[in-house]
Amino acid sequence: MSETVLQVKNLKLYYHTSKGAVKALDDVSFDLKAGETLGLVGESGCGKTTMGTGLLRMPTPPGRFEGGQILVEGRDILPLPEKEIRKDFRWEKVSMVFQGAMNCLTPVYTIGKQMMETLQEHRSMEKAEAQELIKEYLSYVGLPADVTSRYPHELSGGMKQRVVIATALFLKPRLVILDEPTTALDVIVQAQIINLLKKLKKTFDLSFIFITHDLALEAEVSDRICVMYAGKIAELGTNEQVYGGKGPAHPYTERLLAATPRLRRKVESLSFIPGTPPDLIAPPSGCRFHPRCPRVYERCRMEEPPVREIEPGHLAACWRCFE
Amino acid sequence: MKLEDAAYRLKEFWGEFRKERNGLVGLGILIAAVLAVLLEPLILPFPEASSRWRDITYWQDNSKSAPPAWTNLFTARKSAVALTLWDSRTEDRGPGEKAYIFSYDYEFSRAPYDLLLRGEGSGTIPLTVTVRRPDSNAVEIIRYVLQDLAGQTFRLSFTNEGKANALEFLRKTERPENAAQIATMSYGVPEILFSRAEPDFVKGPKPLAGRYEIEVTAGFTDPRASIEHMEIVVVGRVSGILGTDSMKRDIFSGVVAGMKWALMIGLLTSIVSVLVGVFYGITAAYFGGRVDSVMMLIFDYFISLPVLPILIVFSAVYKPSIWTIIAALILFFWVGPVKTVRSMALQIKEETYIEAAKALGAGHGRIIFRHMAPLLIPYSFASMALAVPGAIVYESSVSLLGLGDATIVSWGQILHDALGSGAVLSGLWWWVVPPGLLIAVMGMTFAFLGFAMDKILHPKLKTR
Amino acid sequence: MSNGIDGDVILRVDDLKKHFTPHQGFLQSFGKVRKVVRAVDGISFEIRRGEIFGLIGESGSGKTTTGKLVMKLIDATSGRILFNGRDVTSIGHEETKEYRRQVQMIFQDPYASMNPRFKIRDVLEEPLEIHRITADRKERETRIVRALTEVKLTPPEDFMGRFPHMLSGGQRQRVATARTLILNPAMLVADEPVSMIDLSTRAEILHMMKDVQRDLGLTYLYITHDLSTARYFTDRIAVMYLGRIVEMGKADDIIDHPAHPYTRALIEAVPEPATGKVDVVKELPISGEIPSPSNIPAGCRFHTRCPYMKPECKEEAEPELMDLGSGHYHACRRWKEIG
Ligand SMILES: Nc1ncnc2c1ncn2[C@@H]1O[C@H](COP(=O)(O)OP(=O)(O)OP(=O)(O)O)[C@@H](O)[C@H]1O
Ligand SMILES: Nc1ncnc2c1ncn2[C@@H]1O[C@H](COP(=O)(O)OP(=O)(O)OP(=O)(O)O)[C@@H](O)[C@H]1O
Ligand code: SF4
Ligand SMILES: [Mg+2]
Ligand SMILES: [Mg+2]
Repeated sequence: MSETVLQVKNLKLYYHTSKGAVKALDDVSFDLKAGETLGLVGESGCGKTTMGTGLLRMPTPPGRFEGGQILVEGRDILPLPEKEIRKDFRWEKVSMVFQGAMNCLTPVYTIGKQMMETLQEHRSMEKAEAQELIKEYLSYVGLPADVTSRYPHELSGGMKQRVVIATALFLKPRLVILDEPTTALDVIVQAQIINLLKKLKKTFDLSFIFITHDLALEAEVSDRICVMYAGKIAELGTNEQVYGGKGPAHPYTERLLAATPRLRRKVESLSFIPGTPPDLIAPPSGCRFHPRCPRVYERCRMEEPPVREIEPGHLAACWRCFE
Repeated sequence: MKLEDAAYRLKEFWGEFRKERNGLVGLGILIAAVLAVLLEPLILPFPEASSRWRDITYWQDNSKSAPPAWTNLFTARKSAVALTLWDSRTEDRGPGEKAYIFSYDYEFSRAPYDLLLRGEGSGTIPLTVTVRRPDSNAVEIIRYVLQDLAGQTFRLSFTNEGKANALEFLRKTERPENAAQIATMSYGVPEILFSRAEPDFVKGPKPLAGRYEIEVTAGFTDPRASIEHMEIVVVGRVSGILGTDSMKRDIFSGVVAGMKWALMIGLLTSIVSVLVGVFYGITAAYFGGRVDSVMMLIFDYFISLPVLPILIVFSAVYKPSIWTIIAALILFFWVGPVKTVRSMALQIKEETYIEAAKALGAGHGRIIFRHMAPLLIPYSFASMALAVPGAIVYESSVSLLGLGDATIVSWGQILHDALGSGAVLSGLWWWVVPPGLLIAVMGMTFAFLGFAMDKILHPKLKTR
Repeated sequence: MSNGIDGDVILRVDDLKKHFTPHQGFLQSFGKVRKVVRAVDGISFEIRRGEIFGLIGESGSGKTTTGKLVMKLIDATSGRILFNGRDVTSIGHEETKEYRRQVQMIFQDPYASMNPRFKIRDVLEEPLEIHRITADRKERETRIVRALTEVKLTPPEDFMGRFPHMLSGGQRQRVATARTLILNPAMLVADEPVSMIDLSTRAEILHMMKDVQRDLGLTYLYITHDLSTARYFTDRIAVMYLGRIVEMGKADDIIDHPAHPYTRALIEAVPEPATGKVDVVKELPISGEIPSPSNIPAGCRFHTRCPYMKPECKEEAEPELMDLGSGHYHACRRWKEIG
């Protein structure tokens, strides 16, 4: 764990809608080392998927970058021409398993044909050679070779997700962004997929960005956790710093963790965060979390807390944490 | 759905519709068409055109097969425009005698076909018609006694009644060596009246432009004698906005009068048949199983019927009224939306909120009418619009074959008459083009509207 | 109605089965063998008055089908459902309507369970219209306001004029609950009511539902795939696997001392927000994926995935639910050896 694969600096990405600019990513910075898994957690609509598509430099319209840098292996990719991005960056260095991708497989083509198409878009190779490669990657994700001749509806959810993961690995990327890869799956299948991801990470020396809204799941996969709230980073720390005995620093992470039900502990009452996430067109003044925060005080309403290091490698954006 | 909700939906719909350019064009034409129907009494040059289309006497004073008046703009030799002179100046001429003086500005190269004196009279009245020309010649053209009238209309044709006098006038100036030709020449009374009084008239009259005064002197010695609504009709060589047909009918009046029938046939057929189709489709989808199979069997049967042949045979046998034709069209048209509606209803039927309604205890009627129909009817507006052109064209086709309702005037019938009298061969394009074009434009209008609505209303279904 | 033991049992399900026969066209019916989907394959349970009963299992295990059977949204292939001691499996139209007044359902997807063209007022008025509760507008209005207040959507007037798409998922699920409450039901079937709601507010909805249950003395059949919330929310749970109940008992008993290998695997797979697991590959006491309900393995239906499988599991008849005492049932013949 030494080399830095990805550095994001002050990234801003807004969706320009008719009602105004949705500030889906607002001044976000973090970095990612080789072989590391960064977890991205937060409530629905906090900008997790936006981060994923943003890092591929393919924001969904009407999204536009409004500033910042994305450095992949030290090179800023934002100013590069689209052709270059396609040639040696997107899928080649960074690939993504999209949210709900397993349900987006074309129902009329066989799995083999669909994987073949993806492959041939990027590499010119003989059909036989490509088929060999497809079979090889299917075996990496624990699928039999005969899956190639089957149609998506003949596969279970877990198998489809494996196919999608295999496809994302084809071009040997350094970094794979996984957007909610297990949300639609059952716990047992989820655990199987997580185990698979851990094995693949070792085999290919990959970095992951693992997006989910489930803090409990994040604890099992991510070396470092980045908690997002309303388009901003609330807290970023190592697994130990977030889940360890001391507990997380930011009140949002704290509340979110408390709201995460624990099976192995008998609780009388589950806690929750009252209110709803803010509107990203006109977010609250000061700290964006202040309307829902149990520890709010005067300053929070007036001034926006910066993201600051509160102990080595542990960042948070909360006035209380700086005290 | 409550009124305010409907208003909300409508506003939402309009917000999107505004962006559809074709749709707006369609809407514009539709509004114009509806206005034309509403303002028909104001627009029609011949107010009874609609009810007396086939009454030859109503049209007898028009010119026959006259091109539209505006064709003058494109020709060097202008033709006299059909016109009625209503206004006259009255002068008393001694005891029991009155003069009605009409002025007529003649600025054409080709004289009208004829002039007619028309009015309603009572009693016995001696009449004299004198034309005072710009070259200060006065021609006494008609001398006639109206006998024992009791308020009827009288018509005096200058050509019929004034031939002798006109020739007399011509002879005064014509060279004696041309005298023989006068009897055989093709120029009639109007040419003589509206041309220069010069020698060599028979070789080619030269028009005399300027103000003409037509003086009608009437003797009122009979105690019952009176004249009303006296007017002079100039039977022009060109006539009206769209000319006339070979039966002297004003085509513009015909197509305007046909507009309301086209709209009526189109809208009535499409609205009724689409509503029938929509509920048929929903019912089939909702009940599914055997009900669906039987209903689809009936549907397949209807959809495989060849519309036109059956319609033609039907019309030939029954000589139907327009209402029967509309009813027959509905019989064929209701199948239109069934397939799509059924497939959409099959989707909606599986929606959780339908299941939720069932779980609440809702019955079939409630689910069909409160939940499914309101969602599908907006969609069906689009298919309604798309069904209109078909209905118009089918009615036209039936009419084209001469099998339409003889009591109305429709575009198809105008076309039928035109083709029947060889309008195309004799170059009477103004008779063929307007009804044909209007059928096409009306069809296009509704197609535009339909496509625009389809684009807006259809995706809504998928996303919600 | 009450006869001894059944006195406090509000709903009893007796060997209930639902087999789907896939729809086939006329031509397809030649040659091919119809594959029957045994979605619910003989389940029995009792729900006591005022209890929250959880039905748990993986996707495709037949939970929703059971819920729909109980709601009488689909007809059972065989078996009986007794509501307040009365067989409701084959009742007439009017009785079904009355039954549905007493047993109500909350659906999983709050985005889909309300007609997008209805305002919240219309959504809540619908049950009143269906059951002709009252024609008086004022009276209806008060009922609607009361129901909205019950689910803590306040002030109610703010919500009545909105369309569902103007509400958050949590708010919609509250409306869905209010819609069921407006008829004063005795029992609610809640099919994964919070699975599509953000984690941070999920508990809020569950709290609300629990409050309502206590206030009004309701009985819940709570369907979920989430063991964690089930532990907190329910009194008793039944674990389903491929259309059968494999374990049933008090929630704490089952989660702390699971007897069936499938329940163990389920519990094992649930992630826990604790450190030190990133570099460990989790040992799962289960293999492969759930078989298709159209092709249920013979013998114990779990044997294809069970780490404790012995030949007799495959060869002998399927084990019935066995009582471990204190109302803890399971269906594993090797439970003693597994320990
Ligand atoms: N194409 C778009 N146009 C406009 N707004 C968008 C678009 N995509 C996302 N947004 C908005 O940007 C914000 C962030 O969305 P994003 O999809 O990144 O959230 P997310 O964290 O992935 O949520 P989820 O957990 O629901 O997937 C949201 O408020 C969303 O409404
Ligand atoms: N109408 C139907 N026709 C045929 N098969 C059906 C039908 N409804 C459900 N099934 C099948 O029955 C089985 C059980 O389905 P059910 O919806 O009850 O599962 P579930 O436990 O609720 O799953 P989930 O957690 O995914 O909601 C599934 O395999 C499903 O495919
Ligand atoms: S800054 Fe204030 S409002 Fe924001 S999380 Fe910290 S304590 Fe809460
Ligand atoms: Mg997302
Ligand atoms: Mg279900």
